[in-house]
Amino acid sequence: MEYVDPLTGFRVDGRRPNEMRKLKGEVGVVARADGSALFEMGNTRVIAAVYGPREVQNKGQQVNSKEALVRCEYRMAEFSTGDRRRKPKGDRRSTEISLVIRQTMEASILTHLMPRSQIDIFVQVLQADGGTRSACINAATLALADAGIPMRDIVTSCSAGYLCSTPLLDLNYLEDSAGGADVTVGILAKMDKVTLLQMDAKLAMDTFENVMGLAIEGCKAIATYIREVLLENTKRLECQRG
Amino acid sequence: MRDLHLSLNQTQRVRLEAALHELQSLTPAAASAAAVTVADTIPVNQEDNILKGHGTSDQDGEVVATLCGVVERVNKLVYVRTLRARYKPEVGDIIVGRVIEIAPKRWRLEINFSQDAVLMLSSMNLPDGIQRRRTAVDELNMRSIFEENDVICAEVRGFQHDGSLHLQARSEKYGKLERGQLLTVPPYLVKRKKQHFHHLAQYDVDLILGCNGFIWVGEHVVVDEKVKATEDQQKSSDEAENFTPLETRKHICRLANAVRVLSALGFTLTVELIIETAEASASSNVEVNDMLGAEFYVQTAEREAKRRADLLRKKNGAR
Amino acid sequence: MLQSKSFVKKTKQGRIQKVVREHYLRDDIYCGFVPCSACDAAAERKLVADAAAILVVDTNVVLHQIDLLENPAIEDVVLLSVVLDEVKNKNLAVFNRIKALCTNKARRFYVFANEQHRDTYVKDMVGESSNDRNDRAIRVAAHWYQSHLGESVKVLLITNDRDNKRKAIEEGLNAETVESYVRSLAQPGLLDLVVVPTSGDVTMEDVEDHRPSKRKVIYSEHKPMSEITSGLRCGIYHQGKLRVNRYNPFEAYVGSESIGDEIVIRGRSNMNRAFDGDIVAVELLPQDQWHESKSFIADDDEEEEEEEDVHLVPNSADDAPRNASSTQSSVGSSAPSVSSRPVGRVVGIIKRNWNSYCGSLQPMPMPAGSGGVAHALFVSKDRRIPKIRIQTRQLENLVNKRIVVAVDSWGVLSRYPSGHYVRTIGDIGDKETETEVVLIENDINTRPFSTQVLACLPPLPWTLSQEDLANPNRQDLRHVRVFSVDPPGCRDIDDALHCTLLPNGNFEVGVHIADVTNFVHPGTPLDEEAAQRGTSVYLVGQRIDMLPKPLTEDVCSLRADVERLAFSVIWEMTPDADIISTRYTKSVIKSCAAMSYVEAQARMDDSRLVDPLTVDLRNLNSLAKIMRQRRCDRGALTLASAEVKFEIDSETHDPLDIGIYQIREANQMIEEFMLAANISVAEKILKHFPLCSLLRRHPSPTKEMLEPLLRTASSIGLNLDVSSSKALAESLDNAKSNDPYFNKLIRILATRCMTQAVYFCSGDLTFSEYYHYGLAASLYTHFTSPIRRYADVVVHRLLAAALEIAKLPPIFQDGPQLTGIADNLNYRHRNAQMASRASVELHTLIYFRTRPTDTEARIVKVKANGFIVFVPKFGIEGPIHLTPKGDKGGDWVVDEVHQRVTKPGTNISYAVLQTVRIHMEVVEPQPHRPKLQLTLI
Repeated sequence: MEYVDPLTGFRVDGRRPNEMRKLKGEVGVVARADGSALFEMGNTRVIAAVYGPREVQNKGQQVNSKEALVRCEYRMAEFSTGDRRRKPKGDRRSTEISLVIRQTMEASILTHLMPRSQIDIFVQVLQADGGTRSACINAATLALADAGIPMRDIVTSCSAGYLCSTPLLDLNYLEDSAGGADVTVGILAKMDKVTLLQMDAKLAMDTFENVMGLAIEGCKAIATYIREVLLENTKRLECQRG
Repeated sequence: MRDLHLSLNQTQRVRLEAALHELQSLTPAAASAAAVTVADTIPVNQEDNILKGHGTSDQDGEVVATLCGVVERVNKLVYVRTLRARYKPEVGDIIVGRVIEIAPKRWRLEINFSQDAVLMLSSMNLPDGIQRRRTAVDELNMRSIFEENDVICAEVRGFQHDGSLHLQARSEKYGKLERGQLLTVPPYLVKRKKQHFHHLAQYDVDLILGCNGFIWVGEHVVVDEKVKATEDQQKSSDEAENFTPLETRKHICRLANAVRVLSALGFTLTVELIIETAEASASSNVEVNDMLGAEFYVQTAEREAKRRADLLRKKNGAR
Repeated sequence: MLQSKSFVKKTKQGRIQKVVREHYLRDDIYCGFVPCSACDAAAERKLVADAAAILVVDTNVVLHQIDLLENPAIEDVVLLSVVLDEVKNKNLAVFNRIKALCTNKARRFYVFANEQHRDTYVKDMVGESSNDRNDRAIRVAAHWYQSHLGESVKVLLITNDRDNKRKAIEEGLNAETVESYVRSLAQPGLLDLVVVPTSGDVTMEDVEDHRPSKRKVIYSEHKPMSEITSGLRCGIYHQGKLRVNRYNPFEAYVGSESIGDEIVIRGRSNMNRAFDGDIVAVELLPQDQWHESKSFIADDDEEEEEEEDVHLVPNSADDAPRNASSTQSSVGSSAPSVSSRPVGRVVGIIKRNWNSYCGSLQPMPMPAGSGGVAHALFVSKDRRIPKIRIQTRQLENLVNKRIVVAVDSWGVLSRYPSGHYVRTIGDIGDKETETEVVLIENDINTRPFSTQVLACLPPLPWTLSQEDLANPNRQDLRHVRVFSVDPPGCRDIDDALHCTLLPNGNFEVGVHIADVTNFVHPGTPLDEEAAQRGTSVYLVGQRIDMLPKPLTEDVCSLRADVERLAFSVIWEMTPDADIISTRYTKSVIKSCAAMSYVEAQARMDDSRLVDPLTVDLRNLNSLAKIMRQRRCDRGALTLASAEVKFEIDSETHDPLDIGIYQIREANQMIEEFMLAANISVAEKILKHFPLCSLLRRHPSPTKEMLEPLLRTASSIGLNLDVSSSKALAESLDNAKSNDPYFNKLIRILATRCMTQAVYFCSGDLTFSEYYHYGLAASLYTHFTSPIRRYADVVVHRLLAAALEIAKLPPIFQDGPQLTGIADNLNYRHRNAQMASRASVELHTLIYFRTRPTDTEARIVKVKANGFIVFVPKFGIEGPIHLTPKGDKGGDWVVDEVHQRVTKPGTNISYAVLQTVRIHMEVVEPQPHRPKLQLTLI
């Protein structure tokens, strides 16, 4: 199958290879949480809720009382994909993604400022159309910022793939399941540091560099968008506060 | 809009938007210009020897925000005042909390801080009012003073060496709060003031604006030590006191809903504003349960916009 | 820059599932019209200002009138993406052609992504079929164009769909049918390219009216698609690709996976209008009809009698006629073995493989003034293709021409498919024309190399640079006495050798191969072009290069006395030709002599010469002899071919003389070392890349394939053991008689039973399948001719990567793509062989045109009304008819067991392998249709 039309250069959904899907971010969607966000990348839609920093619930998990404990739980809603299968909680994939998100966010949270406490991040995929991992990280960043948790930098993530000899930004489910390589990158946007890099399938080194470069560009674009959302939100809160 | 999950009709939406827009235009430009998000560089004059305060960090010689909020500059100090965040205690803050655990010689309280706060048995006045060493019997009777889930008003005493936050309740005005409602709002909506206890005599209601965003609206308690003169009297009066008049209860609810509406709209909670809102609802014959309806939200927003506009005009007129 | 809007599409697959996909609509798609000022200045523009009209074509126009579109008279066409998508789904071949048109810079075809454009996207309406929706989309896009471009230019919607046209005109668009548009261009020649619409059109009736007797249903109706799919699912029907027997167009095979065997289809009516290469659904006939092959003869049209031509001696089973069924039918005894093969008939065609074909019009009387439009029958050069009915307005121009014709339709009422004229190649019989036909038939790219390709060449003149010498991976072997031996006049020298005596008495033998990969880098246009071409094609007096000439003849060619880059395999060998060690390296060499086989042979034979070069040659030769013997002992077959060689007139390029290519010891010597090098390299690359090596295998022939050989052998009392290649080799060695040519003849007969060796990717097969039957080698690949074979280029890259000199190009990590390369190489290789055979046949014909000859021939096969003879001197074979055509058998009795025909009552008989004298002459039974005829003297 041709994922990039050789004549028009458009992808299956009408994007150009270096274009992202439509982004949408919204903070404050869960009233009870300290911070929460809804993030959409095209049809991929995830919700993140952050609780904390709060008292450590299970003292046994606390490794270092000088730093906050970050926990993360990733879950796909049963209705998030076309086939409604009941997925067991804590399956391998979810566990892995939970870990990935946790590590990525931990790299940015200034945990030493919140000793003896824990931060819980819950991300739930409401609708899956490829790139859920990235969307979850972006949603978590928004939610953490909304919760007023101090962070080194904005963490954003974006995937890129390589199909039809073309690097493609932000794969949707159709492209993701094409069997080509899929590179997910997470960066600290301002510091320009990579905190997450995952790839399935193989790529030649120089191709990989191109693909990763594209993914980083995507991350930066998302970071710009996330900043806008946050700044707009901050301004609004400040205005209303009077 | 956050926390406002209302079904607005078309006109209401337009009105709400107009009101919010009005509010926005009333805000001095400097305030919104000072807004920063995580990882924004805060412009500073490097020669000034500035002090980097809360919510900032140093990256490659630049002052960078680690939080979303508003940059504040006090002399040399530059810090980011957060908006939505958990409570940041300061010594002397009056707070409202809820007991979650009774531990040896202490209560643990949830006060919307990153840890639970500690109220030592020794940091509070005993019921008998006598200043003395706490005995083992006292320890055993702790539960008779505060039980789990009791709502307590106290004052921040400070951080201990181990980093835990301690409270104290060495005054008659502190202690258990009963017969009322506890409301939790984001702490940034409560400004630190001289007075956090308010007796709203016209309603016979106490209003405590905890700095941690816990707000208590409850029946007025007469702080009168003579009341508990004898055991018998106490018992009979207990029964009498157990009965809160319906009128008072309605007032409590009206004020509580006023707080809810205001906090949902993100307006700073002041006694005046709360009372004004409650009055407005009463005067426009809005039932207590209708206060959380869309129409009242819109009205409140419009009223606030008008109020601030008037305020601004007055200020400009005075100048 | 992105105006996006997402909405929901539902598709249902297997289990019902709702799929939601995004579809972004954008405002950065431009019209492609050169003077348009509204569009972004940087956008690609193709449609010129002075165009009479901008044409918007609909799907069916593209599908059916592709030949018309390819004509340069049609320009300024807008192709909508909705049209392209539909074309792609319906006919990939047409899609590829239209794609080529769109990417061709010289043509003004512009692709407009209407489905992505904000203003031209149309939503599905409830109750609207997808066809109607697409037609609407086309009209909306045409509208957009008209309003976008304003009155300055006319936008014309071309559609043959009446309904669509009517709606378009109602909506205020300009719309015309293809025919009326072409008529308006006033170029009568173009009208021939227009495909006449079939559905209920009058013209079709006209055609049938000419032959009222044939107005009957000839073929059974194809089953509807739904029935076919359900039939396939429950196993009543079988799906597969139809392959028509090259030598008997009335027989076809369908390789079916569901049965695991080939299904035989006999006769045109059973083939039911399927073409070679179509994907068809087949229904098996009842078992009792399986060996009943007579039936089809009755169906056949009298004018399509089976006709054997004189052709070259086949080199492998694939080249040889597969006449199994016709011979079997006459031999009752061996029939059961064949009847086990299932026989079926086509019930439906899943995917058409219609193409355009080369051929000529069947001679016919010139119709007297039938309004300019004449109907004619087209006969393809490819015998697998049935005759095609076309109509033309320029009959007189086409009669004696080679033309290209495309197929359009084939209705049940029509014996032949209908098609249309595409273009003329040239006069029949003209050498250039016929050569071009050969090239077209075999899909050989003769276009000059593009500028992008030529840009990849190193700067010329090329000389050895210091960097090359300084490269630590490149060994300097310029001091070594390297020489090359090639056919005379060879200019693309890709191999050279050296042989030095070592102090310990052993020999160091080096094979140096042109280092083509030093110049052809993976992924470049040059590499892609070479991969596409796959091989150089050698025709008589002409060579079509795989790589551009400067590389082929200069930079890569290991000519004498120049420093050249090479890739070397160096062995240390004992005098008994045992390999002690093998070394591979890139190198720099300087050949001291480029000899021809004749020269090398002369040097070796001249005992007076004792110069070092001659000594080297003799050493090599003695090693080669030992190696050859060892190989033969292992079971390698020494097969004989009857390759011919032409002497070409340097001015007219006509053949002057023809003779069998002589094989000398020198040839065998070079061959031996090349084989050894290939085997060594195959071992090395397979060791390093067990999953992605490109190897060459030669499958063992099946029993069935050896059948004709065994039959011939047994008829003359020769017993051949074919149980293994070793056994066969031995029994071939033992096949001797007092006839000096006998052994060679048997070997030639054996050769034609072999399968073709093929390239494959090592990951696709198991180790035991890697075996090369002919060479009796467990591993084999091609390494030694990178200038003229792309496979060798691939192997060079693998070897370089195995030596860690270079990185393995990413393509090797892509299994399917590598298999694709191997398949393409096999296809190109085969086509190249077919083309050179066809070229030789063509030149043979030209040669004999002026030189009727009497010569000796050997009978290789006995048939009902004659026999097939082989002419050793010219390497050709052809039929000799004992009885005149049409007169079936009669006086002659065929004894199949002994392969003998006798005339009862007389003692005249002819047996297989018997020598006969024949007369060869070119005759023209019909004007401009020369053929070589053999007659018995």
